[in-house]
Formats: sequence, structure tokens, C-alpha cells
Amino acid sequence: MTSRRSAASRGEWRIHVILIIAVALMVVPFVWEILTAFKTNNEVSTLPPTIIPAHPTTAAFETFFASVPFWAQFGVSAISLVLRVVGQVLVAALAGYAFARLRFPGRNVLFVLFLLMLMVPSQLFLLGQFDLMKGLGLLNTLPALAIPGIFSAFGTFLMRQAFMTMPKEYEEAARLDGAGTLRTFWSVMLPMARSMIAALAVLTSLYSWNDLLWPLIVSPAGGNRPLTVGLASMQGQFGTNYPTLMAGALVCTIPLVVVFIALQRQFFAGIASSGLKG
Amino acid sequence: MHKKWLAAAAAVATVGMLAACSTPAAETGSDEPVTITYGIWAGTQTPAMQAIADAFEKENPNITVEVQELPWPQYWSTLQTGAAGGTAPDAFWMLAQQIQPYAAGNQLLDITDAVKNAGVDLADYPQAVIDLYDQGDGKLYGLPKDFDTNAVWFNKALFDAAGVDYPAADWTWEDFRETAKKLTNPEAGVWGVAAPIDYQGGYYNTIFQAGGQVISDDGKTAAIDSPEAIEGIKFWTDLQADGSSPTLQQLSDTEAETMFEQGKVAMYWSGAYWALQLYNNTELRPNVDVAPLPTGKKQATVSSGIENVGYVGTKHPDETAKFLMFASGPEAAKIQAESGAVLPAYKGTAQTWMDAMPEFKNLQVFIDAQAYSVPLPVNGNAAAWQGVQGDYLTDAWNGTTSAADAAKAYADAINKVLAEG
Amino acid sequence: MTSNVSSPVGRPRRRTGLGARTDWWALAMIAPALIGLAALYLWPFISTFIKSFMNVPVFGPGKFNGVDNYAKLLGDPGFWQALGNTALYTVLVLLGIPLAIVFAALIQQVSRGKAIYRVLFFLPVVTLPVAVGMVWRFILNGDFGLLNYVLSLVGIPGEYWVADARFTIYAFAVVGIWMGLGVNLIILGAGLQSIPTELYEASSLDGANRVQQFFSITLPLLSPSIFFVTILTTISAFQMFDLVFVMLGSVNNTALGDSKTIVYLFYDAAFVQFKQGFAATIAIVLLIIIMAVTALQFRLQKKWVVYD
Repeated sequence: MTSRRSAASRGEWRIHVILIIAVALMVVPFVWEILTAFKTNNEVSTLPPTIIPAHPTTAAFETFFASVPFWAQFGVSAISLVLRVVGQVLVAALAGYAFARLRFPGRNVLFVLFLLMLMVPSQLFLLGQFDLMKGLGLLNTLPALAIPGIFSAFGTFLMRQAFMTMPKEYEEAARLDGAGTLRTFWSVMLPMARSMIAALAVLTSLYSWNDLLWPLIVSPAGGNRPLTVGLASMQGQFGTNYPTLMAGALVCTIPLVVVFIALQRQFFAGIASSGLKG
Repeated sequence: MHKKWLAAAAAVATVGMLAACSTPAAETGSDEPVTITYGIWAGTQTPAMQAIADAFEKENPNITVEVQELPWPQYWSTLQTGAAGGTAPDAFWMLAQQIQPYAAGNQLLDITDAVKNAGVDLADYPQAVIDLYDQGDGKLYGLPKDFDTNAVWFNKALFDAAGVDYPAADWTWEDFRETAKKLTNPEAGVWGVAAPIDYQGGYYNTIFQAGGQVISDDGKTAAIDSPEAIEGIKFWTDLQADGSSPTLQQLSDTEAETMFEQGKVAMYWSGAYWALQLYNNTELRPNVDVAPLPTGKKQATVSSGIENVGYVGTKHPDETAKFLMFASGPEAAKIQAESGAVLPAYKGTAQTWMDAMPEFKNLQVFIDAQAYSVPLPVNGNAAAWQGVQGDYLTDAWNGTTSAADAAKAYADAINKVLAEG
Repeated sequence: MTSNVSSPVGRPRRRTGLGARTDWWALAMIAPALIGLAALYLWPFISTFIKSFMNVPVFGPGKFNGVDNYAKLLGDPGFWQALGNTALYTVLVLLGIPLAIVFAALIQQVSRGKAIYRVLFFLPVVTLPVAVGMVWRFILNGDFGLLNYVLSLVGIPGEYWVADARFTIYAFAVVGIWMGLGVNLIILGAGLQSIPTELYEASSLDGANRVQQFFSITLPLLSPSIFFVTILTTISAFQMFDLVFVMLGSVNNTALGDSKTIVYLFYDAAFVQFKQGFAATIAIVLLIIIMAVTALQFRLQKKWVVYD
């Protein structure tokens, strides 16, 4: 027994070497981003390139904050994320519960329709969604950023799966106590689905925070422009001024990375339970 | 009907959550406070535009002007999306090559009467710029904001290092080529000139200098495949071929203007609108100078200018028209000139502009160039046919096809756009 | 399915009455999702389908023009080039899956440090794609990019990876794999965990080494997860837009013309050139292609995916 274990740990040492090399390659772009953000525009064009900034400077960050209304755009990104996550979890949990537990005419047909929607590339909806937002007079507003993401066939599907796996005894007990459908759902079933809700929430946050195409279309300008659009725009303004671009990219990336490190368990659970589908 | 119902249903479904965030529609009378937006693309001009907005607000206490800055690469798509969606800025910058679809699609505020009633004299503006925006429908959609011609920015330090004389005012194509070649030093990573595919600052100028045209006189067909025009294109492909310029790939990775600021290229053809950006680079400033474009068969430069125009969907047409006249008027011109942002279109402000950047001693070349300037070709949906230039000319710049063949193929593409109207 | 529905046999009659009331609750609970999806997805889908048969000018109402858009699209060499680019990108990005399998299996085997490896592999997933594009554009810069510098140290001449159309798709694919590795790793890692350890123990007793175990146990039992990851990767690769937009679209890049993907073509047609009818046609054709490829993958899976 002992000899087999030591053989295993000898092998493990080799595995660690491979993994460390792979992980090092994965983080090189981040390291380079950080180093570049502290260089001057002239330093990044020197050959051979310097690894460590010769004269570390925060000038790039100053340029970034002077030309991009970071906090305003951060606020837009954050508020639309919250709207989208809260909205989607509610809408999807309600519908998912009904699909999983309640009986109504046309249930199966409707559910198949929901599943079909998962197949369609999201670009197909863009033109119509844009027209709808225009018709509602919501262009360049916060709600326009969040609304389409609130309604998700995928979220409904996830929540249905979660409710399907739950034992019925709890519901029946609640009903015998005289709780109605909504109450049973709200105070018994919903709390039991919290791990799936957390998974759905982190996935939705990820799409919401990273989305570029939709905000570029409905909110390309003015005060309701989220960070992704602001960052993409900055590229137009600074062209190939790499230190400023890197400083901007870094600053805009940090919030979600911090959230991810704090909630990594939920992130991984979300991804594992579902796969990634926008 | 169906669509409306769905829209209403969606609104009801989300209204609870979103009520707090919706924006109320502004309904205002003439003396009540109104806010108008002014769309511009981002760059060194923003502080001057903000100052103009402030000055206007001082004169018109009931009107607030909100300057909306858009990045250049997304400016036109954003504007189009906004115009189609009813959310375009009330006033915004327009370019002559872009105006046609907006005017034809009835998206611009007609300010003919407002200008007449306010007694604005169009003679105070360069006729060439006014003509560029004339859609032949008898309506006036905007007023010129600035005016630009082209010249050669050059880096004196790189000339000194290579022991090359600064350009003479009457230099020729031949002189230019030689200067570029002498300045090029592959070991030091220095090129004589940046030769990107640039119409306004680049090959249109040489096409006219060679005696050619981009579009024929009647405006209905391309003339870019005439022998003279091909000469003008060859000027640039030759600079690529003999290595006097970074390749197109290099200029994609690092833009020409950045290369010039980094001291990697010694000469850069462009307009007066880069003056302030270069002036603001204090490290580079003492080394920057400017010379007239070299002469081919004749002297020529294309000229153009931005106009301030209004959006037909504005809720405040009177205030917008008032602002447009102010933003192109004498006081705004003075603010622009003093900031150095750009050469104003309004007459008699050139000296103020030059005085704003005293260390640039030869800015006069941009003003002198008016004498031999040619209006930028903007026939038909110019943005559409100018937008596809890269599809046809890239191979010529890369040297994989001849300038003549590329010009021929591009001319066919231009003709197709012009035929669509 | 019906077995999951309440009111099984033998309940008192009273329950049936409650069941009848819950039908209304069900509709009320589904209504928000239903209305939202109908307004924001079903209707846009229908209107896009209709628009694909119309010429919609920049400003003003559209006119039906039959199948002109489809004819124009299929006759446009730019479309075939974009399709080729998209297909090449998809195939290249699928090569990231074997990589993810290997790393997932390796992480599974270590007793310590699992969490930190997962976090580091996952970092690109939580990074804004816009930021990713910027960073890589700089690393791949032909003149002073990090990659060419490293290559020069080992004597390999560099290229203009994101400015030369011969290389752009490959550059996108490297970035695409880098971005997607974390997600695939987690899904496949979950699949690995569900493989019963007894199977490995039994085969160890039979004298199988680790490599043999990998091929005889791990791969077959992991195949449903691999299939899932393949479908997801294919669908998202076909919809790639951000990288083209950020790495080429925002600057005056001469490689852009030959490096467009289908969704970039769609964005360009819809929101830059404002030919919405034509853009709708691109979207419909993309849908048909994705459905065909997914259907094909589902057919092929019978040959290699092992379900117990």
C-alpha cells in the first residue's frame, strides 16, 4: 500500500510541472497587460521590448480616468447586471416551477417551443429587439440594456430541471398546512433551489457584464453606455496607444475578477450544471 | 397591430421593475428651460466644443447644451442607429462625404429660413465648403464649422539625424521621393514617410496633382482609372515598393499618426486638424514642422470641412437652429481658433488659430494651400464608395497587383454605387 | 413526464379542486416568461424572417423584393469568404477540446492545488472579451509584440499576426481557445467526477496502467460531456464577433476585409451599412447553417458517444 502511494505522488509531481507550465502560459497575457499599463507609449515601441517598466508611471491610468467616465459606466454595467439577474431569476423560477410541477393545457408544446429557442443564434433577434426598444422609446436607457436578458429560455430550462429533482414531500406538507401555490413556491420551493439560483445568477452576471454587441446597438452613446462599450470606444480614441488601452482593460476587468474569486464555487457550479449558453 | 400588442405586453411585464429608471419625455415651451445635445467625435477638439456650448448657454440662459462625445470608429453607425431610432443628437457634426443619405432620407433639419431670418451672411464662409454640402434641393442643412487642407508634417530631428535638408516650399514629387528614401533607415527602425491607404490626406491629393480626377465632371462615373489618376495612386504604391514607408501590415498594427508621434516615420501627410494633437505632445513639439505638399504636374490639395447640422427629429428645432448658427458663428470660431483645435471656417480667424500654437512657425502653409485646393470628391453616397477602398486598393499597396488594375476594379465598384443614386 | 405532475391516484377529492385552481396559478407564473419571450424572441424572429425578403432602406419603410437578398448573399464572394473564415475558426477552436480533456484529467489526478489551477484556467472567462481582444492585439503586434519577441529569441521570424489576413483567423483561434479553455475544463471536470472510482480500482487490479485506463475508461465514460462541450463550442464559434470587432474592426486595419466572420458581416450590414433586409438574410442563413451542423453532430454522436 505504502509503495503504491509513493508511486502515485511521484507521478503527481510530474503532473504539477505540466500544469504549472500550462497555467503560466494562461496568465502571461494578464501579466503583460499589467506591466504594459505602467509603461510610456514610447517605451512599448522600443526593440527589444523591456519586460519590467523602465520608469514605472501611472500616466496611462490617469489618461484613462481623464477620458473615460469610468464610474458612470461602471454604474451602468452594475445596475443593468442587477436588473438582469434579479429579473431573470424571478421570471425563470416562476416559469420553471410551473413547468416542473403544475398542470395546465399545452404545457408540453410550450416547453418544446422553449427548448427550440435555445438553438437559435442570438443575432437573429437583434433587429427585432432593436425595433421593439425603439417602439417603446427605450433606446439609450438602462432598461433597454437589461430587458432582453431578463427573459431566457435557458434560465427557465435550468430552473425547471432544479425543481424536477426535488422531492414532493415538502410541498405536500406545506399544502396540508394550508399554504397556497404561490406561498408554497415562495417559502418552500424557492429556498430549496438556491444552489441552482446561485448558478443561474453567476452565469447571467457573466453574460451581462461581458456583453458588447447588444449595448453597442441600443446604447452606444451618452450616459447609459456600459463599460464594454466605453472600453471599445476608448480603442477608437486611443488607436494604438497601448499603455492607456492596457490600463483601461485592466481597470474594467478587475471588478468581475474580484467577484469571481470570492464566489468561485458558485461560478464553477453554474458552469458545470449548465454549460455556457448566452 | 399585433406588434403593438406584444410591445405593450412586454412593457407591462417589466414596468414594475423598471419604472424607476425610465426617462420622462421633455415637453417644453419656448421660454422654459430646454436641453439640446451636440454630438461630436472624440479628440482634441472636445474642450473647445465644451467652451462653445458654455458660451452659448451664457447668451441663452434657458438652453442647456450637452456635448455628447462619440468615438470616431463608431460615430457614423451610432448616428445612423440614432437617426433611425429617433435618438440622434439634436445638433451634430457632419462630413460632406456622409451627408447624402441623411439629406435624401429627410433626417436633417432644414435651417434655410432660420439662417435667412437671422441675417447670417454665407459669404463669411468658404464657398468651397458650402458647395460640398449642397444637395441641389435648394435647402441649407448646416453651416461650416472648420476648413481643412493638407500638408506634410515632418520631424526635424529625424531629418537632422539623416543629414537631409528640410523640404523646400516648391519641392516636387521627385524631391519628395528622394527625401523619403534618404530618411529611411531600417536599422534604426525609421521610415521616410507613412503611406497608408488614406484618401483625404493621401492619394486624392496626388491624383489631382497628377492632373487626374476621382469622379468625372458630370459626377456620374468614376475617373479614378484614368492614366493621370493611376499616376497619383502609383505615387503611393511606389513609396511602398521601395521601402520608404512601413508596410500596410505595420500601419495596421500601429497607426500612421502614432508612428509619427513615436518618431518612427519622418513625414506624415495630413490635415491641419492634427496640429493640436502634435502640439500637445510636448516631447515631440520642438521637432515638428510642416511643409506644403510636393508638386506633381501641378500643385493641389483636397479641401473639406465639418459642418454643424441639426436632426429633423429634434424636439426643439428653434433652439437647435439657434445653436447651429452660434456654433458656426464668429464667437465660436474665435474660441476654436484660440484653442488651436482646428482652423475655423469663419472668415478672418486664421491668424488667431496660428497664434495659438506659436512654436509651430509654418502653419501658414495650410492657409496658403487654399489657393490651389480642390474640393473633396463627395458625389452620391460617398461614404459607401470610399468605405470599400481597402477591398480594391490593398493589393496594389502590397504590390501584388498593379495600381492600374486596382484602380480599374475600384472604378467599377464606385460606378455601381453611383448608379444606385 | 406526467409522473412528475401532482395529484396521483388515491388523493381525496378535495385535492382535485385545488388542482383545478393551480392551473390558473401555472398560467400566471408562466405569463411573464411567455410574454417576454414572445415579444423579445418569437416576434423578432418572425420579423427578421420577413425582413430577409425585403429591401429596407436606411430611413423609411421597406419593400418586398422576393429572394433578391438571398440571391445577392449567395452570389457575394464576401459571404463565402466569411463562411470559410467562420468554419476555419470553428474547426481550430474545436482543437481546444482535447487540450481541455487532458488538463481536466490532470487536475483530477492531483491531490492538492485543484482549486488554484481551476481559478487560473478560468480567469480569461471572467475577463471582458473587449479587454481580451486589446491585450492579444498588443501581444500579437508584428513590430513590438511579445510573441514575436519570444520567437526571435529562438530564431523564428515573426509575422504580422493580426494585420496580415493569412494569419488573422489562426490568431483569433488561439485567443478563442485561450478564452474557452476554462469553461470546457469545468464541464469536463464535472463529467470526470461522475465516473465511479471503483472502475479504476478494478482495472488497476487487472493491471491496466494510467494511459490504458484513460482510453478504456475515461474517454468512453466522458464522451457525453465531450459531446456537450463540442456542441456548445461549435455554436458559440459560429457566432464569433467580439474578437474581430476589437482586434481588427476598431482600427484602420487592412486585414479586416479578408478576416470577417458571418456575425461580423451581419453587424456590418445591419448597423454600419444599415442594409437591414440584407442583414436579416445573413442571420437566417446563419441559423440554417447552425441547425444543419448541430443536426449533423447529433447524427454523428451515435457513432462515438457512449451512454449507459
